[in-house]
Amino acid sequence: MRTTEEVARKLTRASQKFFYDVTTKLVWPETLDASEWTMSPELVSLYGTDVWEEMSEAQRKKLAFHELAGFFSLILHGERPLLEGMSHRIYTLEKNLWVLEYMHHFLDEENKHMMMFSGFLRRYLGKVYPEKKIPFARKLAAGEEDVAFFAKVLVVEELSDYYNVIMGQDDRLPKIVRDVNWTHHVDEARHVHFGRKYLQEVWERTSPNWTPEEVESFRTWLVAYTNASWRDFYNPAVYRDAGLADSYAAREAALTSKVCQAHRQKSSEKFLQNLVDTGLLLEVPELA
Amino acid sequence: MSESEVRRQLRDWIVNRAKEKPESLSDDTPIMENGILSSLDVVELILFIEHIRGDEVDTDSLEPESIRDVNAIYQTFFGV
Repeated sequence: MRTTEEVARKLTRASQKFFYDVTTKLVWPETLDASEWTMSPELVSLYGTDVWEEMSEAQRKKLAFHELAGFFSLILHGERPLLEGMSHRIYTLEKNLWVLEYMHHFLDEENKHMMMFSGFLRRYLGKVYPEKKIPFARKLAAGEEDVAFFAKVLVVEELSDYYNVIMGQDDRLPKIVRDVNWTHHVDEARHVHFGRKYLQEVWERTSPNWTPEEVESFRTWLVAYTNASWRDFYNPAVYRDAGLADSYAAREAALTSKVCQAHRQKSSEKFLQNLVDTGLLLEVPELA
Repeated sequence: MSESEVRRQLRDWIVNRAKEKPESLSDDTPIMENGILSSLDVVELILFIEHIRGDEVDTDSLEPESIRDVNAIYQTFFGV
């Protein structure tokens, strides 16, 4: 098995090879065609619900546009604390110069992603959908903050990557939408590789010092955090902007829909299996 | 919606959402401090507040005290 340093060296070479200027990489059209799909319909959060079934194709396409904007906003809000947390840990938690070299690429690429998503939202929507969080401190075991941080990194990256891979190859979508998704995916594939390795290393270094209750508490939190992250995909503000009369009821319907639950479970499969393989979870949980 | 109705809806929602149902919940019961809700329930709570308020909530400048208990929630989001 490769060490974290070996993984970092390999990923650094790849980041150098695929280095790009985010301000010139993409060709942005003036407008997006409202008669086209801008998000793969199967990924729209209400897909499979009664609300979706009752919508016309034009309404579904309008919703798909706002869903895409909601999805990009969600990644933006996920990447902000990621940049913050990684900046905090570089040269403090991590001292290996090869790993640090890759962390610099990681930060550079995350900043580019934020510029890319922000650029999309500025051009075509004129706003970023806000997140609705209030920071609360919770009681943590020694070193748990670092384990939780890298676990959160993976949640953001792996869930969004599932969507990016599908939309990056979906010919129904405008080229700019495919390009933004694919550009993000190409970088994120490396970030996920690194994130999985690093999370495993931090977990194996930290969790043996925890009591069984602390390990159990962390595992419970991790599943709850994954469920909470999924709930963020169901945004009433998106539904309101798409013209739905009762955005809260639409969200509740999607959260309790069996079709939507199956989608969440399937989209999380690789991510959850990796958590089991690395020992963070004991078995793949059934998501809410 | 009257003040008492808003408060009742908030209490009902909190009790329904709680993993371990509290024996009683009054308007000054600390909901986070007492572990009735966790930090991962906050987004859900805010979305419910928006739903009964009929208007969006900006959480950027909010502190944890603003959702300490039903009294604080009412004052922060529904008070005049």
